[in-house]
Amino acid sequence: MRWWVAVAWIEELFTVGEQRVDELEVYGFSGTSISADLKQRHVSLCSSSVETGLCIRTIDKGKIGSSSTNDPQQWQACLDAAIAGGRLAMPQEWKGLPDPVALPKTDFAWDPDLVVEPATAQELLAGMLEGALEYPDATVTSGGAGVAVGEITFANSHGVRYTSRQSDVSISLEAISGQSTGYEFDHAFSRSQVNPQRVGEQGACLASRSAGGKDIPSGEYDVVLSPMAYADLLSGIFIPALSGRNVLQGRSKLATKIGETITAPLLSFFDDPHRVGATGSTWFDAEGTPTRRLDFVRVGVLTGFAYDLKTAYRAGLQSTGSAIRGGFAGLPAIGHHNFVVDGERDEVFDEPAIYVHSVVGAHTANPLSGDFSVEMSNPFWVRDGELAEPVRGAMLTGNFFDLQRQVAALGKESRAVGSYILPPVKINNVRVIGK
Amino acid sequence: MTEPSGIRYYDLRQVSGQSTHIDVDKGVIESAGTIFFNKAVIRVLGPRGWGILEFDNYSHEPGKKFNELLASAQKLALVADDTVNLGDGSRIVRPVPLVKEDCRDVGIEEKAELLLAIEKAADLPLVTSRRANYSERIEKVRFMDSSGNEYCYEICRSGFSVMAVASRNGTVQMGYEPDHTIRGFNLRHREEMGRKAAATAVALLDAGAAKGGKMHAILDPELAGVFAHEAVGHASEGDLIEEGNSILKGRTGEKIGDDRLTIVDDPSLHEFGFEPVDAEGIAAGRTEIIRAGKVNAFLHNRQTLAAIGNGVAGHARAMPGEPPLVRMSNTFIETGDATDDEIFSECKDGIYLAGSRGGQVDPGRGVFQFNAEYGYLIENGERTRMVRDVSLSGEILKTLHGIALCGKKRVMHSGYCGKGGQSVPVSDGAPLVLLRDAVVGGSGVD
Repeated sequence: MRWWVAVAWIEELFTVGEQRVDELEVYGFSGTSISADLKQRHVSLCSSSVETGLCIRTIDKGKIGSSSTNDPQQWQACLDAAIAGGRLAMPQEWKGLPDPVALPKTDFAWDPDLVVEPATAQELLAGMLEGALEYPDATVTSGGAGVAVGEITFANSHGVRYTSRQSDVSISLEAISGQSTGYEFDHAFSRSQVNPQRVGEQGACLASRSAGGKDIPSGEYDVVLSPMAYADLLSGIFIPALSGRNVLQGRSKLATKIGETITAPLLSFFDDPHRVGATGSTWFDAEGTPTRRLDFVRVGVLTGFAYDLKTAYRAGLQSTGSAIRGGFAGLPAIGHHNFVVDGERDEVFDEPAIYVHSVVGAHTANPLSGDFSVEMSNPFWVRDGELAEPVRGAMLTGNFFDLQRQVAALGKESRAVGSYILPPVKINNVRVIGK
Repeated sequence: MTEPSGIRYYDLRQVSGQSTHIDVDKGVIESAGTIFFNKAVIRVLGPRGWGILEFDNYSHEPGKKFNELLASAQKLALVADDTVNLGDGSRIVRPVPLVKEDCRDVGIEEKAELLLAIEKAADLPLVTSRRANYSERIEKVRFMDSSGNEYCYEICRSGFSVMAVASRNGTVQMGYEPDHTIRGFNLRHREEMGRKAAATAVALLDAGAAKGGKMHAILDPELAGVFAHEAVGHASEGDLIEEGNSILKGRTGEKIGDDRLTIVDDPSLHEFGFEPVDAEGIAAGRTEIIRAGKVNAFLHNRQTLAAIGNGVAGHARAMPGEPPLVRMSNTFIETGDATDDEIFSECKDGIYLAGSRGGQVDPGRGVFQFNAEYGYLIENGERTRMVRDVSLSGEILKTLHGIALCGKKRVMHSGYCGKGGQSVPVSDGAPLVLLRDAVVGGSGVD
């Protein structure tokens, strides 16, 4: 985080706004990015994006209004719209926006040397294509590389003035061999933290090695979910149940279970907003509340839920610093910064199992009940400590809340998947439906 | 600065407008607000591919500034090493359908009151939580290209959703009813949607888990529409065909389904996926992806039409500020001649599946999954016990042969479809459909 540099229109916004409402805040974003796409082994396009935007939130006698625009010169119209929206809202228990706190002035995920130029994207694509050559029977179908830098500006009428910078490098590659597809990706804050050769090789490897899979009969199997598969199911089912808003409004199956054992004792889930190098790390949340580690599940026991200001005030609690925004235009909502799955590490490939690399359709699960049935992608038999023959495909089904009690082991290596940091997870006795 | 040379083609698409939302949670207006946006994309086709600029707040005027933008995009295009040619298509702009009541004529206070009433209607016994959302998006689209094509139109999409959660003894279930439209303000006299969401949630408390396995399935029009979208629509998108990432590549004329099966995409229909003209200035009409069981045509943009052929351009769509991708619009299974009674008696024993929380497809592998909100067992041609949370998975080349009967009445449902990080409005639909030997996923066991 850097020193605050006064922005004229923001100071004017507060001068004008404070005469009209009790409190207000503004969240600004500006960023640039370059990306390039592959169509098979050719670069099909290169694109450059410049984005700016701001979101104003006003609070007046417990009534919250908001508006956003991508033209900072339009802040006055934006303020008018926020105040108009606030008039419509019903007043709620409100105990004020956060006061300023002296936060460290370091950025967690910022590489000042990242070159946001087409050459960087080009070089990343070339690296992936080179890696993919390791599996000549797999054909690259598409891929992408993007580099971006952005700056967040946050200010409120209590005198909070925070800024932070972030950089982002992301790559992905898709390949096919016959009717077998493979996909791999990586993302990090710095060019040196991603390995395009490995991503290319792994995407092609998955396509190549998954070809010629055999059907499996329906039954119960021990299953190893890759970090991608586990993150996909977590985000569709488990994460919404940790939101304080869903807890408060009767939409969380976990609402009454604080202090109870809800997963296998080896599992812990927490939000770690101060992890160096993790792309979700931040000192302050989307409402200017200082962030802190938040434990959701500690050695199997449910210990907490995530709250933003509004929900916390309504529940008679404190914000947990869990407000996030989906872009500048999004209102603050309850989420997490870096969701970490941790616990004692073990071998996950030491006994026969089915390895599931990813799942198709996780978003169609029932987030309230936890029931899901999804199609497996790139499944393999696990034998003698490694991946053996591919499985042709089958459905994986069950109740995701209940399955957490059947977690048998966490693999040794964690990786970042979006806002999740997690290892492969072995779950015993999972129902599989063959074709 | 004059217009740079060496540019084979360029276009500019600017979308400005505003979106308004109202969020109601358990009888309380949680938030209401407006977003203003003004986004533009310039695409330049250089000798070997595209250079694309995405930026905000463009003021529409030719001249020095515009030529500088073209030069910047042209520089980006030099990175590309592809072979790109452009096909062409019908250059018309269809009028945006007239609406009965314009959203812009209704104040936000009145909208909020109507939404509250719909949400309140979901307050049935056992319902522990309710939520409703209204959203309205007015987009003004301006397009011009280097061939002299130019158009401008304005369209308003609006709609709402209502959700109810019912609980009893630790069992929690939900019902969800959305309705989004291009046909004008749709919040009046819609309390039945709240009651329906609540009734579904309450009924599901007594539903059992379906036992997974292979069985005959009857799909309601909403779910059968999702089936058409996931199982066929995506795999027919020209960009996936061109990349070699679709199982339908090279299968034109091949029989992959029953004679009775015709699947269509039509952006000219006045449904939620309607486009007056696509994001490259081409207006596609009815495209029969599958005709009488055979692979008939792909969905194309100008580039994929030139590269692949077989089909028409006019299927390029984009979110504001994003470059166009090949997308579906209004996708449906054509009606057949079976009565509902015939479909149930032909099924005899199986499962009836209704509603959907969406689906997903891996078009290269040809495998899809989609989910039904609920269903009923069919025993001896009769609907019996209710079941919850049922998914279907299948393989594109096998499953379409299983569509044995189609009903007489098609119903469309609106929603959004995601691809390449962009979400666009679509509609899906079908008549009642009998699908033989479906692979059904459910967590129930004997």
